[in-house]
Amino acid sequence: MKKYIIKRLLTAIPVLLMISIGAFVMMNLAPGDPTDLYVTPDATPLQVEATRRALGLDQPYPVQYIRWLTRALQGDLGINYATRYPVLPILVSRIGPTIVLMGATLVVSYLIAIPLGILSARKHGTWVDNLLTGGAFVGVSIPNFFLGLGLIYIFSVQLSWFPTGGMSQLGGESSFLSVIHHLVLPVTVLSAFYIANMTRYMRATMIEVYGENYIRTATAKGLAAEVILTRHGIRNALIPVITIIGTDLPRLVGGAIVTEQIFQWPGLGRLTIMAIQQREYPMLMAITMLSAVVVLLANLLVDIMYAVVDPRIKFD
Amino acid sequence: MSNWKKSLKYGTIVFASSLLLAACGNGDVPDLDEEASADNGEEAGADDSLPEIEEGDTSTLMVGLTNAPDSFNPFNRPGVAGTWIQRFFYDSLLTMPTADSFEPALGEFETDDNQVFTVTIDPDANWSDGEPITAHDVAFTLNTIAHPEVETTLGTSVAMIEGANSSGKMEDGETELAGVEVLDDKTLTITTKSPVDLAYLSEFLGFNVLIAPEHVFGDIDPVDIPNSEAATVPTVFSGAYKLVEYDTDNYVHLEANPDYYRGAPEIETVYARIMNGTAMITEFQAGNLHMAAGGGIGMVPVQDISLLEDIDGLVVEEHPSFNGQYMIINNERFADPQVRQAFAYALNRELTVENLLDGRGEVLASTYSSASPYKDEDLSPLPYDPDLAREMLEEAGFDFDTPLEFVVPTGNAVREQNGDLIEQWFTEIGVEVNQNNYDFPTWLSMAQDLDYDIGLMGWGHTVDPNIASYVQTGGASNNMGIADPVIDQLLEDGMAGTDFDERFPIYAELQQHLQDEMPIVPLYSDSQFSVQVDFLNGGINEFWAGSLYDLHEWTLDEQN
Repeated sequence: MKKYIIKRLLTAIPVLLMISIGAFVMMNLAPGDPTDLYVTPDATPLQVEATRRALGLDQPYPVQYIRWLTRALQGDLGINYATRYPVLPILVSRIGPTIVLMGATLVVSYLIAIPLGILSARKHGTWVDNLLTGGAFVGVSIPNFFLGLGLIYIFSVQLSWFPTGGMSQLGGESSFLSVIHHLVLPVTVLSAFYIANMTRYMRATMIEVYGENYIRTATAKGLAAEVILTRHGIRNALIPVITIIGTDLPRLVGGAIVTEQIFQWPGLGRLTIMAIQQREYPMLMAITMLSAVVVLLANLLVDIMYAVVDPRIKFD
Repeated sequence: MSNWKKSLKYGTIVFASSLLLAACGNGDVPDLDEEASADNGEEAGADDSLPEIEEGDTSTLMVGLTNAPDSFNPFNRPGVAGTWIQRFFYDSLLTMPTADSFEPALGEFETDDNQVFTVTIDPDANWSDGEPITAHDVAFTLNTIAHPEVETTLGTSVAMIEGANSSGKMEDGETELAGVEVLDDKTLTITTKSPVDLAYLSEFLGFNVLIAPEHVFGDIDPVDIPNSEAATVPTVFSGAYKLVEYDTDNYVHLEANPDYYRGAPEIETVYARIMNGTAMITEFQAGNLHMAAGGGIGMVPVQDISLLEDIDGLVVEEHPSFNGQYMIINNERFADPQVRQAFAYALNRELTVENLLDGRGEVLASTYSSASPYKDEDLSPLPYDPDLAREMLEEAGFDFDTPLEFVVPTGNAVREQNGDLIEQWFTEIGVEVNQNNYDFPTWLSMAQDLDYDIGLMGWGHTVDPNIASYVQTGGASNNMGIADPVIDQLLEDGMAGTDFDERFPIYAELQQHLQDEMPIVPLYSDSQFSVQVDFLNGGINEFWAGSLYDLHEWTLDEQN
């Protein structure tokens, strides 16, 4: 197992390199020169040159890439073109809020969705199942900007129960309770989708598992329904669910672009949109690489969890 | 290895079972519901007094901003939002309470011949670290802007000074402008290349240039200023406020400068919060904002203004703006003025203003909106006349078989919708149009290469009527290939005039000529708005760019 993990981590290095080259080439192939955004049309050639130099765009592309790579390996991810702030501290300051938002969303979603899915499967075909399946359908379909604005209008504007946005009160202490208070609405919006999705998935796999022979055997042995459910049903149904969790994990840092915008959440999603609009290449490179690392790690984690949950899988 | 695997296995089982904790083995749904509602109740109960504005707090001003400030460097301010925020903490020599009046701030201008201007610095003006603000700071600021290798967006603000070229730069190797001479600590003279209108100098040099502290920037190699700490995280200020923190793309935190030479500000703290237009509506509805920054950097979409008007206690005022939206034409491909004029007749610009802008704007006859004192009131926009347009095109031998390459930049919803209307209007007169949408940086580089037939472009104009950079032969923003000797001559004559009465007839003639030749089709100018709570005294006024002139006197009334 240890050998396997080391092997996977080593193969990740060339993959990350390829991704960085791909992202770099694509950004530079895109039309539009970031320098244009920071010089006036009447700038002299000397001045344009000065701006290009200050932004690090004066060298040929391969040199730019090598320079980016060597600096990135030393922890210097470049500067933000507009404010000339270093990229790394900005990025770091956004990871926290996004992990808080998405982490809370995923935890809340799974805690609600998995039992709902199991219930739906066990009451297969009854009105409970129909209600849950119908609810899940609505949850998947409802656009989150719509739900978000609706919730803000009702709970923030009309009832003043929750803040309209942000992560904490400006000028006030950012206490734990205050963050929770700010989290309720955005987490509700984001969870609506995840709960709906995961409920449907959990329901499907549970129904499948309940049709398996080993469940019939267990029932024939006279085991209690609870024991069958916890020991045989859920454990087997969880295997495919782990795959879904694995694909959800990268979202922890990817953020939720639309929801973060609506709720002014100071996370990575908002940062990404701003960076794209402003042609902030160093910031975009940093975000791309961060996402790539998280995706690779999440995949590795999922593969390891498979081996743990499913004894048929062995890595040697 | 197997031990390790085992512990991982149990760890995972613990994780999985913790996921299932709420399921209680038999997946009881009512349990969950109870738990969820208990959560909500608890959170709401613990914290329900968390509005963004504390009731009765008259010391904190909350401002809504839609664009993030891009620069705190006084020498280089590419974006409007950066300039707007910098005006909180860096003062200029003059303020502009209205489009045609100037008041002294850091300094005062005097001249006898409109060529040599004496600038006197306020004797009480100090930097926030206690150092006096002197004529040396002003000279240093101007020389730094004009330094050949310094990154700056302020070239046009110093281009009229003796010793600077038309881009506002000195010759390579020079470090001091010939036209700037310090007489003593509080006096200097500025000599221009030729006599100029005092209003022009006052706007460009007096108002647009923010004075920077020499004792902070003087030791930095001018080339290194933009990336320096002094320019990115400023700590020495001349304005009514001090910059405390900029949380990138989130908010700007400012605190009052108690030693401000024009009087300590009444409001102690200002937060400029960055949010999109939709969020701004809900923040106003929830009572979390005192004002919108306005201009192009802090307003809700024009279709949603009425939502703000419905909010009790919010005052919404509409003013004409200096912005213009244009359909630019590649003059090299369409050299015949008759064809270009036909394009103008084909467009129902009234409909755009009525339907897309909700009537909150005006159809432009030229580049001067009704905000400009130089607008020629006798000139009306060409009417919508599709039949005439078609006739004129046929008469001019227009090639109806080749579709027009039409570029519409993304990012401005009204402009994008207008692009669809324009495509439709062209189709109605038998002209095929290929509409392409690009983001602005892409469109800008296409326009610079004249790689288009027609396209949509927005320009923000100065109060001064000089539009040379757009329509003069070789002008910096002349991305239309316009080369018209009559325009060039009128622009030159216009700049040679030294007061309004002398200049106005020249610009009136220019406006008529632009309509006859139609090198660009002026479309509309959208209104700008001031949106603020009724208990804020101060805020945005009719001339948006100058609105911060009395910032230190703004107050918030006590609320009952």
